[in-house]
Amino acid sequence: MAVAAAVHGGYLPSKFRSISGKTVSQSKPTPPPLFISTNPNDVIPNHLKNLYSLCNHSCHRFPKLNSEGRVEPVDLNKLRKALHHSYIVVSVFTRPAFVPGLVPELAPSLTGIGGDWIGKVVPVTPSNGELVGFGRAVSDSGLTAAIYDVMVIPSLRRRGIGRKIVQRMLRILVNRDIYDIAALCSDQEKPFFRACGFGDDVLASTTMMYTRSASADSEDEQIVKYAGRKLLLAPSLRGNLKT
Amino acid sequence: MQMQTLHLLSTSTSSSSSLSTFVSLNCCRCQFSNQLPFPCKTNLGFVKVKRQSKVSNLKAGFWESIRSGFVKNNTVQVIESPSNEEEEEEEPLPEEFVLIEKTQPDGTVEQIIFSSGGDVDVYDLQALCDKVGWPRRPLSKLAAALKNSYIVATLHSRKFSSGEEGNGEKKLIGMARATSDHAFNATIWDVLVDPSYQGQGLGKALIEKLIKTLLQRDIGNISLFADSQVVEFYKNLGFEPDPEGIKGMFWYPMY
Repeated sequence: MAVAAAVHGGYLPSKFRSISGKTVSQSKPTPPPLFISTNPNDVIPNHLKNLYSLCNHSCHRFPKLNSEGRVEPVDLNKLRKALHHSYIVVSVFTRPAFVPGLVPELAPSLTGIGGDWIGKVVPVTPSNGELVGFGRAVSDSGLTAAIYDVMVIPSLRRRGIGRKIVQRMLRILVNRDIYDIAALCSDQEKPFFRACGFGDDVLASTTMMYTRSASADSEDEQIVKYAGRKLLLAPSLRGNLKT
Repeated sequence: MQMQTLHLLSTSTSSSSSLSTFVSLNCCRCQFSNQLPFPCKTNLGFVKVKRQSKVSNLKAGFWESIRSGFVKNNTVQVIESPSNEEEEEEEPLPEEFVLIEKTQPDGTVEQIIFSSGGDVDVYDLQALCDKVGWPRRPLSKLAAALKNSYIVATLHSRKFSSGEEGNGEKKLIGMARATSDHAFNATIWDVLVDPSYQGQGLGKALIEKLIKTLLQRDIGNISLFADSQVVEFYKNLGFEPDPEGIKGMFWYPMY
């Protein structure tokens, strides 16, 4: 009992603190009331585009950053196509009142005793909620799946929402017998995925991405494509084969 | 309490679907308990609605075409599928061409044919996987994976004796497939070439064709997970290991 009280108050003597790496006085994060949807029709592409901008997340792995370090806004048509062809689309909504910094319009007739308690007990739906989190997975419906674009608005992070998104996707995939689930992540995203149960590959495979860029000294015409800040060079198929 | 129920009713009638009352009541229960809302019932309801409307669209088109067939002459076109807004963007057009043609000393001609049509016999593929030493995977899953991959590129070998064009025996000797969301990301899985045909640049041709097709579709994030012995192979093709610290992580089920 005494130890428990000390833990809660954060007054743990140093020899106990070294056992676990994290500070034990931190309470478990609780998310606000959420509506988690796996219906892709609940996502309005424009709102999703705003969410991408808010989270400063780009669909390109090597995004072009402007002077303030912000990524360019995502292409709406491509986003629609990506959503349509994603195997799972998870979107998280919450009441505007729970989004810090977003001023809700309170209907004066509903604020009575206890403040906006009506706003707090009426359930969230995609139509009356704000899109605050998103995640999608692409799969071949049989063997493999890859998770992309998991994001939560900055003001609601570290409350377990991102984890819920990933767990929802994992549950659906496992129910459909897909166990080879990959997630491409940058250095910043690694701790998040590790906490969700992801790890390095059992077979020690190396993640590789196509980054061959167009060189300045090109003799003949080349097919190049922009992918964020990289100008990728498409391979030409002439004279590669030994006969 | 009275006011509360009134509010519930008003939110449900304002939305379009008739199943919304069902949805919001379910969520109400979940919200109160502040636990993870279970998805099953609500989503199933939405899916059902969608499918019904699709079927009814098809039916309407069918009767329309019958009716107009009697009225006008037969220049009217058939039913348009209800989901054709997304199909404006072309899927990768299946290609097939001869990659190499070799004539043996005894006169038999061998052609290596590249195809991106995805026409793969699952049993042939299983046999090829056995040849390269890969673990066996359930056939139904293999078939589903092939069907739902964005591109499936294959190499077949066709042999005919001299003077006899066409109708040679076709043998699967290589395959590569990529899954994609058709817009931004693609991952290449399952690249394999028959051991007796390796070392000729066939694998390279497969991958290069895949990359070319993906880049033509403006898909910029092409990734793959390479075994240690093939990292050099992919490096030569323009792939970079762990670029800018990006790594792939895999899920481990903790039972």
